[in-house]
Amino acid sequence: MMLRGATAIFWRDLIVLRRSLLSELLAVVASPLTLYLAFGFGLKGYISSVDGVPYAIFIAPGLISMTAVLAAFEEGAWSMWFHRRVQKTIEEYRVTPITVYDIVVGKLFSGFFQGGIKGVAVAIIIFILTPFRFPLAHLFIYLLFIGLGAMIFSCLGTICGTLMDKPEALGRIQTVVIMPLIFMSGIFFPLSSYPPAVLPYIRLLPTTALFEGARLALLSGRGGILPLAILTVTAPIMFALAVVVFNKKIEE
Amino acid sequence: MPSALSLQGLTKRYGTLTAVDRFSLEVERGTVFGLLGPNGAGKTTLIKMLTTTMRPTEGDAYIEGRSVVSAGRRVRELIGVVPQENNLDRYLTARENLVLHARMHGIPSRDYVRSIDELLELTGLAGRRNDFPDTFSGGMQRRLVVARALVHKPRLLFLDEPTTGLDPQSRRALWEHIRTLRSEMTIFLTTHYMDEADSLCDRIVIMDHGKALVDGSATELKSQFAPPHIYELEVKRDAERYEELFRALPVVTSLERDKEAFRIVLKDEESLKLLLDSIRSGDIRKICTVEPSLEQVFLDLTGKAVRE
Ligand SMILES: Nc1ncnc2c1ncn2[C@@H]1O[C@H](COP(=O)(O)OP(=O)(O)O)[C@@H](O)[C@H]1O
Ligand SMILES: [Mg+2]
Repeated sequence: MMLRGATAIFWRDLIVLRRSLLSELLAVVASPLTLYLAFGFGLKGYISSVDGVPYAIFIAPGLISMTAVLAAFEEGAWSMWFHRRVQKTIEEYRVTPITVYDIVVGKLFSGFFQGGIKGVAVAIIIFILTPFRFPLAHLFIYLLFIGLGAMIFSCLGTICGTLMDKPEALGRIQTVVIMPLIFMSGIFFPLSSYPPAVLPYIRLLPTTALFEGARLALLSGRGGILPLAILTVTAPIMFALAVVVFNKKIEE
Repeated sequence: MPSALSLQGLTKRYGTLTAVDRFSLEVERGTVFGLLGPNGAGKTTLIKMLTTTMRPTEGDAYIEGRSVVSAGRRVRELIGVVPQENNLDRYLTARENLVLHARMHGIPSRDYVRSIDELLELTGLAGRRNDFPDTFSGGMQRRLVVARALVHKPRLLFLDEPTTGLDPQSRRALWEHIRTLRSEMTIFLTTHYMDEADSLCDRIVIMDHGKALVDGSATELKSQFAPPHIYELEVKRDAERYEELFRALPVVTSLERDKEAFRIVLKDEESLKLLLDSIRSGDIRKICTVEPSLEQVFLDLTGKAVRE
């Protein structure tokens, strides 16, 4: 059967996730919710709207996307690192008749899935706090963005978890590269705040395409083509990169 | 019919260090094969190449006629692997560890449910099937790793230092288990315990610095390489004077002293009389012959320097 190994790995991750689901959800919802309360409500009196959108609603889609892609990244990175360096279970996987693709795809599924349920958890809470309306078709495109984003970040996580041998290094990548990339791409402020000279480059970042595009798609249903195209190109490139990097590293 | 295992000039270099050096070998089906060597001899590197987790720098090896270089996936269907370090999944229960392995081998659940229960029974882990490996003793963890390697009924089982770090009871229990497997599969194990090799293996190769030094059954190696006329002798007094005296005797080929106790290798049986004649009557506390041991063969071949 094709992808037998990938489904086996995904099955394993589901069992493990099921055991700790509640505490994981609590932990993962905490930080975007804090940001939402601090900025969305705390600054309510100071920022009334951005581009005609109430601020709390302006930041909501980005916080949901951020939760999803961060969860995907962390799952990819830490689980790859853990299986490779701590438990050495990757060695066990590699003496069974599954392929390198199976391992990377299996981890991709897991990251994708984790991103999905954690994003939904945050979304539900935000929607309870701030009811806002949008057409169902917008939600569909928004999910497309999140799906591609989770895929890209899951692969990125896999690559980091494959290359880094030390846990500190992984933590550092997250604070020095991943978080700035996410914050730079206009979750909390409109991209028009950037100086005009910088803006074109910022727009080329896949993270900008992801967060800015996802918000526009959800709130207005406009301007989704270019960012979607950028993400659609980035996703398979990241996947190929993840496979190549992983393959190279484990062959020593 | 291809042999169970065939190595042809298998070589692995780490930079300038040659860990396995043009290793060639044929192992027949149904053999319990023991690879002996001190730390750093290259045993683990060799097993990693044979189990397809490491690519040889040169040469190739064939498992039941399939190349580890070009038919890795097919090879992995045929082999079971017990690595030097336990690599159990600590977030899965004992039983789930086995189920995951079965799924990776594409075994349908109707087939693995029974065989996994049997394996847990056989390894004495049935009562702990739903516990996490973290809570197991070293011996139990090792047995679980062995059980996992058997889930898909491999034709060839690789065990890298299966009993290192276990207490004597656990070691013997594991030996018993390995013995029961020999009728069903070829077994390739590495060890630096001589008693393990002596009691388990039909055939032994001693390796060091990436090369095979000798090859044969335990009995063959002992009779071929261990000097047959070894005696232990203890004197009551004047040990230092006796040492000088014995060293001067031409029939003594080798001599070690630890306080009053000597370990003496003689040229032949007749030499014993000459040796005894040189000792004053009443000075002997004890004298006995020493059975040649595999350990002696091993030390003679690989030297006594401690390996890191
Ligand atoms: N990944 C590696 N990189 C560099 N050198 C290694 C690596 N693995 C093992 N070695 C070296 O290769 C030699 C053989 O090691 P190994 O196969 O582990 O021996 P054994 O299992 O017999 O103790 C040793 O000198 C060891 O230091
Ligand atoms: Mg070793």
